[in-house]
Amino acid sequence: MQEHLPQHGENGVTTAARNDGFVVFDRVQKSYDGVSLVVKDLNLSIGKGEFLTMLGPSGSGKTTCLMMLAGFETATNGEIRLDGRNINLVPPHKRGIGMVFQNYALFPHMTVGENLAFPLEVRGMGKDEREAKIKRALDMVQMGAFANRRPAQLSGGQQQRIALARALVFDPALVLMDEPLGALDKQLREHMQFEIKHLHESLGITVVYVTHDQGEALTMSDRVAVFNDGKIQQLAPPADLYERPDNSFVAQFIGENNKLPGTIEELSGDKALVRLATGELIDATPVNVTSKGQQTLVSIRPERVEFKPEMMPPGAHMIDATVLEVIYMGDILRVRLRVAGADDFVMKMRNTLGQTKLTPGQNIKIGWHPADARALDLN
Amino acid sequence: MSDATSQLTTADGRPLKAALATAQARARRKAFFLVAPLLLFVLITFILPIGQMLTRSLYHDGFSAVTPNLGQWFAANPEGTEPDEAAFAALAADLAKMKADKTAGEAGTRMNYTVPGTRSLFTSTARGADKLQPPFKEALLAEDKKWGDPIIWASMRAASSPWTTDFYLIATDRQRTADGGIEKVPENERIYLWLFGKTFVLSGLITFICLLLAFPIAHLLATLPMAKANLLMILVLLPFWTSLLVRTTSWIVLLQGQGVVNNILVSLGIVGDDGRLAMIYNQTGTIIVMTHILLPFMVLPLYSVMRTIKPTYARAARSLGATSWTTFRRIYLPLTLPGIGAGALLVFILAVGYYITPALVGGADGQLISNLIQFHMSKSNWSLAAALSGMLLAGVLVLYWLYDRLIGIDKLKLG
Amino acid sequence: MALPVYADPLERVWYYTYHAICVAIFIFLIAPILIVIPLSFNAEPYFTFTPKMLRLDPEGFSLRWYDLLLTFGMAAPDGVRDSSWWADVWQNATWVKAAKNSIIIGFWSTIVATVLGTLAALGLARSEMPFRRTIMAILISPMIVPIIIIATGLFFFYSNPCSILGTECGRLTSTYTGVVLAHATLGIPFVIITVTATLIGFDQSLSRAAASLGASPSYTFFKIVLPLILPGVISGALFAFVTSFDEVVAVLFIAGPDQQTIPRQMWNGIREQISPAILSVATILVLISISLLATVELLRRRSERIRGVTPQ
Repeated sequence: MQEHLPQHGENGVTTAARNDGFVVFDRVQKSYDGVSLVVKDLNLSIGKGEFLTMLGPSGSGKTTCLMMLAGFETATNGEIRLDGRNINLVPPHKRGIGMVFQNYALFPHMTVGENLAFPLEVRGMGKDEREAKIKRALDMVQMGAFANRRPAQLSGGQQQRIALARALVFDPALVLMDEPLGALDKQLREHMQFEIKHLHESLGITVVYVTHDQGEALTMSDRVAVFNDGKIQQLAPPADLYERPDNSFVAQFIGENNKLPGTIEELSGDKALVRLATGELIDATPVNVTSKGQQTLVSIRPERVEFKPEMMPPGAHMIDATVLEVIYMGDILRVRLRVAGADDFVMKMRNTLGQTKLTPGQNIKIGWHPADARALDLN
Repeated sequence: MSDATSQLTTADGRPLKAALATAQARARRKAFFLVAPLLLFVLITFILPIGQMLTRSLYHDGFSAVTPNLGQWFAANPEGTEPDEAAFAALAADLAKMKADKTAGEAGTRMNYTVPGTRSLFTSTARGADKLQPPFKEALLAEDKKWGDPIIWASMRAASSPWTTDFYLIATDRQRTADGGIEKVPENERIYLWLFGKTFVLSGLITFICLLLAFPIAHLLATLPMAKANLLMILVLLPFWTSLLVRTTSWIVLLQGQGVVNNILVSLGIVGDDGRLAMIYNQTGTIIVMTHILLPFMVLPLYSVMRTIKPTYARAARSLGATSWTTFRRIYLPLTLPGIGAGALLVFILAVGYYITPALVGGADGQLISNLIQFHMSKSNWSLAAALSGMLLAGVLVLYWLYDRLIGIDKLKLG
Repeated sequence: MALPVYADPLERVWYYTYHAICVAIFIFLIAPILIVIPLSFNAEPYFTFTPKMLRLDPEGFSLRWYDLLLTFGMAAPDGVRDSSWWADVWQNATWVKAAKNSIIIGFWSTIVATVLGTLAALGLARSEMPFRRTIMAILISPMIVPIIIIATGLFFFYSNPCSILGTECGRLTSTYTGVVLAHATLGIPFVIITVTATLIGFDQSLSRAAASLGASPSYTFFKIVLPLILPGVISGALFAFVTSFDEVVAVLFIAGPDQQTIPRQMWNGIREQISPAILSVATILVLISISLLATVELLRRRSERIRGVTPQ
């Protein structure tokens, strides 16, 4: 288990630099049956105003963490603090945390306006103040004209906006979102990602967002916590996560990725030389390998693979590859290669006017900048 | 993966499993508290009364309470002992007491269950019991020589304890022999098992007719568009919501001798005016009316299963070369089996215990076991009614258990 | 279900036969219920259509049997129909008394069955409920156990309800309380079944949403859960009411002369002096059941509309 709390974000994207521990998970564990842990020793500190995404495959423990924060599940062990206060024993309705549910959970027997009034009525707010707040919240999501509709009369995207407005209308400092865009189609989803991000920035609220969609996580978040097997595998700003994965799980889970297994031939500082099973040598940056002779998995992003020698840094190694097929994808060309005996090596090249044409069967040489190839643990 | 999983503890060091168990027990108690009032209510107004009633099938002190002396003699002498002078003396003493307390009738009634015709033996002998002189054996035999009958003595021994299985013997057409054994009653007196059999056969027949009638319309409803199906469904649900007595009345009006159906048949010349069909106040009436009343209980489960059968299965079968008949037999029918099972079991369970319809339209030969229970209740043969109830209840509960195992009681739906 | 163009002659014959069979079965289901309506307007004391009725001759029809429902059992049926005559009807007419009893008993037994049944259904819907299946089976069993057995048991139990405690106290036979308790027991399975079915469709995340918006558990129950399951609760209550309103066997066994209900009077009427007045009662009951069915159907649709379920 690596150390998470000192952050990675030196090429920090936005706000994450200042972390005042607004939300803190302190050695939190969760077990449903008393035998196996679904969340294992979770430590996480979220700053005020931060947009943090919990990303992971289903069953990785990310939703359980969100539910513990919301109060619908209790932590088996450890402490969850909100603004410095231990909230383990605070029931959900006294936590004052806004939440957007996966299926929106709009009350079907109430109009949109009544749905938004609900949290305000519960807080004993007067009618005038209530209406002003509802209007403001609806305008914020461009749904001002829909106050008298029933949820069943709205489209999925509209329901999504109402759910968002309802979670924000009582001015919570923290808003949780549980895969809120999962039910929308691709285009609407991308549009809503921008709107949510925009709301986050303009309102200055803290958002904890759960998703299994890595694209969503990368576009929206200040930091992303990648979950697997009940643990945070890496906690980092999106760019770090993509370009400098800490381990092979993160490397495989985020984005497309070529893997070349081999052994460490030479190891010096931030440079490593890896010998592939077929005997060729390649360059890599050591990440969690420590000694010569260790087995490793080298990870290279398809768009960082080069086949033109003039683009390569001096002294970098190049290896043989055979073009197997070229797939036209519009903005890019996707080339499948046979490299080191395996048929699944992918290279992406931009579809520019003067781009070199590759044809199946052609033999080429490929290489990469040593910083782009990361020698990770075998996993 | 196995890190520390063997000894998980909570923050305050308690074993996690124990802590979880406490939390779950609390949640279980909360859920149970919601159910508890109703459970208690049902226990008091339903389970307890039935249980109490069923004890009557095993308990009858009409004889034992008034024969303390005989009771002592039976306790002292094992089964098979020839009744001696002491036995007759005890009997004479008890009879004398019966005369004084005017309880000879009760004792006689209890004996009459197992040895028909003995009630008068007790009442007439008790009348002069205070004048009997020893030796009592001769005196009693002089009074009525039936007192020497070993069957009487065997039956008195059985009745001398208030706890008895006699009523279950009667209810299964069995009787005691003189030597304490058990035998079947003569063929012409076997009525109870025969009636149980008849009840089950008629219920089976009604269930089968219901299935025959329900299948086509459930299929039609399931394949029609929802709006049309809902409209036609009203025709199934309206009988369901209409008073049973109303439906029974209607059938009397339709089927009786001067009723609508006979009048139509006569006016069409199908039957003569003197040959009007007897369709009510007999077994036919019971079958027709019960079929009508129970039909919705067959249609509803069938329909809900058929609705879930996607037409793509049939289309796939057809595209694979099956004829429409083969498609029905090999694809559709097997898929409807859960609905058939649910409907048939429910209809059968309800039919077996039916009372009102046979009582009103069954005439002499359309009566079921429930009607016999009512008959014995009205004659104050409570223990016998209780024994018959116990047997009927056992049968119904077995079927109910089967229903729960096969279909699940929580799948029961109404409309 | 339309006949495809490639159907062979046999399939065509079967197609029309099948539809004819279905029509016949629907007639079998519905005709006996509707037949009593015209016959209840018979001017003659017969249970069949007179030639005059068939000719639609107005003389063949009358309201005399409905009139009999009012006057039967009155102290002075032949007087002027002024307010004291109507007071006589209200006080003495046998069928009016029976209707009052049916409504009073039906009302209270429905209240008891619905309140207890809804609470229990809420408990049964929880995943933590222990012995869920067994308890459910017990609570549904009054629907399954033959009514004659229940009535017999109640007959003995009501004659001395305190016997279980080993003491004597009053009796419940020939009391309203006794009949109400018995009918409540018989109505409970229907409430359990309908409310449980509604709760299965209830989205638990709505309760969570309410909590996250700051509503306490009790506020959530009354503002969110109850309004959404209310159609199911009302349907269950209507079922329970109809069960009581139609029940005769328990009444036969445990009710006294003061608790005679409509079905009890009909029972007498059918067994003893069957008169066309029974048909007019039957007609009224059919109209009541039609309106109840319509209510349940409307509730179902309303509940579907609220939830945004569109019938496909």
